[in-house]
Amino acid sequence: MSRASPRMRRFAKHLIVADALAVSVTITDNAAPFPVTDALRPRLATLMGNGGVRALLSRALALATREVPWLRAVHVNADGNLEGLAEMSPLIDPIEFLEGRVVLLAQLLGLLVAFIGPSLTSRLVGEFWPQIPFQDRDFGKEHEDEEAN
Amino acid sequence: MKKPTKRARAVPPNKAASRSAKVKIHKLATGVRGLDDILGGGVPEFSLNLIGGAPGGGKTTLVHQLAFANATPEKPALYFTVLGEPVIKMLRYQQQFSFFDESKVGEAIRFINLSDMVIERNLDAVLEEITKQVTAANAGVVVVDSFRTLARKATSDAGDIAAQSFIHRLSQFLTSSEATTFLVGEYVQDEIRDNPLFTMVDGILWLSQVTERNSVVRKLQVMKLRGQASVPGLHTIRITDDGLQAFSRTLGLDSKKGKPSQRRRLSVGIPELDKMLGGGVLEGDSVLVAGPSGTGKSALATQFIAEGLRQGEPGIMAIFEERPEGYTQRADSFGLKLNKAEQKGTLEILYLRPLDLSVDETMQAILDAIQRVGAKRLVIDSLVGFEMALAPGFRADFRESLYRMIGALTGAGITIFSTVEVEDNFTSLQFSHYAISFLTDDIIRLRYVEIDGQLRKTMVVIKMRGGNHSKDIREYVITDEGVVIIHPRRTDYEKLSTGIPHQTGPRVAQESEVPPEPKASQ
Repeated sequence: MSRASPRMRRFAKHLIVADALAVSVTITDNAAPFPVTDALRPRLATLMGNGGVRALLSRALALATREVPWLRAVHVNADGNLEGLAEMSPLIDPIEFLEGRVVLLAQLLGLLVAFIGPSLTSRLVGEFWPQIPFQDRDFGKEHEDEEAN
Repeated sequence: MKKPTKRARAVPPNKAASRSAKVKIHKLATGVRGLDDILGGGVPEFSLNLIGGAPGGGKTTLVHQLAFANATPEKPALYFTVLGEPVIKMLRYQQQFSFFDESKVGEAIRFINLSDMVIERNLDAVLEEITKQVTAANAGVVVVDSFRTLARKATSDAGDIAAQSFIHRLSQFLTSSEATTFLVGEYVQDEIRDNPLFTMVDGILWLSQVTERNSVVRKLQVMKLRGQASVPGLHTIRITDDGLQAFSRTLGLDSKKGKPSQRRRLSVGIPELDKMLGGGVLEGDSVLVAGPSGTGKSALATQFIAEGLRQGEPGIMAIFEERPEGYTQRADSFGLKLNKAEQKGTLEILYLRPLDLSVDETMQAILDAIQRVGAKRLVIDSLVGFEMALAPGFRADFRESLYRMIGALTGAGITIFSTVEVEDNFTSLQFSHYAISFLTDDIIRLRYVEIDGQLRKTMVVIKMRGGNHSKDIREYVITDEGVVIIHPRRTDYEKLSTGIPHQTGPRVAQESEVPPEPKASQ
C-alpha cells in the first residue's frame, strides 16, 4: 500500500505550490529547487541527525520511484540534498516533474506519519507552514480514512 | 539564675540564624507515581544525575516522564541524543504512554541529535553546541542519552583525564545554567568503583531487571542522592500504559499511626460470634480466620463486610482465589446484596490474580481502593492466594511484606479480616502455615469435628489482643443466612480441638438422615 495516498498527495501539492508562489516562481518552472524538503531537512536533522534524514529521504525516494520512474535519476547525497533533481527538470514534462516531487514529498510525509504518528507530523509541518490550517494538515483524518477503507 | 524559656532552649539564637541561612533546595516532581516519596520529595533542582542500568530497564521511559513532568515553554527540556535510540523511534514508542503530551514536543521539549557532531567533530564542539542550545533555550531540564557513548568517545579521543575534564566542564556549565540534568547510560554495576562519573554526579538512579523462574521483576535503587534522605534498598517498579510506577519498599510505613485509645467494637454480622469476641472485633484490629477448605471462611468474611455496609462503613474485598461473581452470588444467597453496595460505590471487590505481583503493588492497589471508597473494613481472601499471586522472587519476603502491609492498614484505622487455609491434621490445632499469627490481633479458628457419625464444624476464638474473649468451642452451620452458630458449648465431649473428640457425657439419641446444616440455596 502506497503511503502517498490521494489526500497526502493533495497536501504535498498544496505545499509545493504554496512554496513555489512564496519564492515567486511558477510551479512549472523547471529550474525551481525543492524548497519544501530543503526547509524540512535541517529540522529533521536536528531530530534524527544527517544520517537519519538521509535514510528517511532515501526510503521516500525508493518508494516514490516505484510510481515515478524518472526519479531513478535522483539520489540523496551525503548532505541530504536531492542530487539530479535540478538536472532532470529540463528533460521532463513540467506537469510530470511536479507530479514526481508531489509523490516524493507525499511519501516522505507518509513515512513520518508511519513512524511518529499523524499528530507529531502535523505539528512538525505546522512549525514551518503555520499558515496552513490544522484541518488541512490533519493526518489523523488520513489514517481514519485508510482504516475505513 | 533565671531559667531559659522553653522556646529559647529549643532553638539557640545562633543556631536559628544558621538554620534560616541554609539554602533551600527545591525538588522537581518526577512524574513517576511513588518515586518522589522514594527520593525524599523529588529530584533536587540543578542537580546532575545519572540514570543507569542494563538495556530494557526503563531508563528512557523514566527520563521522558521526568522531562514531560517539568518542561514548560519558558523552561524547556532539551533532550540531546547521542548515537543511542534514534529520536524517531523514541517518539514512536514514547507516545504510547499516557504521560506523553504531544503539545509539549517542539516547544517545551526539544530533541536535539548530537550524533553527527560526536562522530565528526571533537568534544569541545559538542560542549559548545550543548552550551549554545541550553543558553538559547533557557533550559530547565537537560537530558543526554546516551551519555555513556559520549563519555566513551571522550576517553578514546583524549584519555581519562580529558574525559573527566569534559564531564566536569559540562557539569559546571549545566549547574550554573540552573538546569537539572539527567545523564542516561547503559552501565554495569562493576563500573561504579572505577568510573569517576559516579563520583561526580549528585544522584544515581539504578534500574535493573531480576529474573526468577518465569517471572521478571523490575527494580529501582537510589544509589546516591546528595542533600536529601532517600529510601534505601531495592524498590519494585512496573511499566504500564502510564509509564513507570514505583512502589517503595517502605510503602505505608510512614502513614502508620498509633491506634486510638478508645476503639469501638465492630459487629462481624454474627451475633453469637460477636459475643464470643467480647462484643465484637476492636476497630483497627487484624483478624485471622483460619480453617480448612469448606469451613466457611469466605462466608464469614462476606458477612463481616456486609455488616459494615449495614453500619455505613464502606469496605474492600481483595480476593485472590474466587472470582468476584462467586462472591456476589454467595452473598446474594445469604440475602446480602453486595451488588447494590458496589453500584453505590461503598464496596469494591478487587480481584488480584496476576502471577507476578509484588506485595507493594498489591498494597498500592488496596490503598488506592481504600481511598476511593473511604473503606473502614477490608477482607483479604486468602493469604494463600495472595502468596500465589506474587512473583516467585517476592514470596521469600512475603511475611515481612505482609507485616508492613497489615501494620500500615490497621494503623490507618482499617479493620482487616484475612483468611488462611490450613489443613486439619487431627492431632493438633494449627493456625497457619506461615507462622503469621504475630501479625494478627485476633485469631478465629474453624475446624471439622467428628461428632455422632457426622463431620461437623466448630469455631473457637484463639486469641484477642485487645481484651478478653470466650474460650468456648462452638458448633456452627452454614445456612441461607450465612454462618450461624448453633449449640452452646458442648460439655459432653472432650478433645474437640483434635477433631476426633471423646464422648464423656451421656449418649443422646440421634435422629438419622436429618442433615444438620442445609446448604445455602444458590
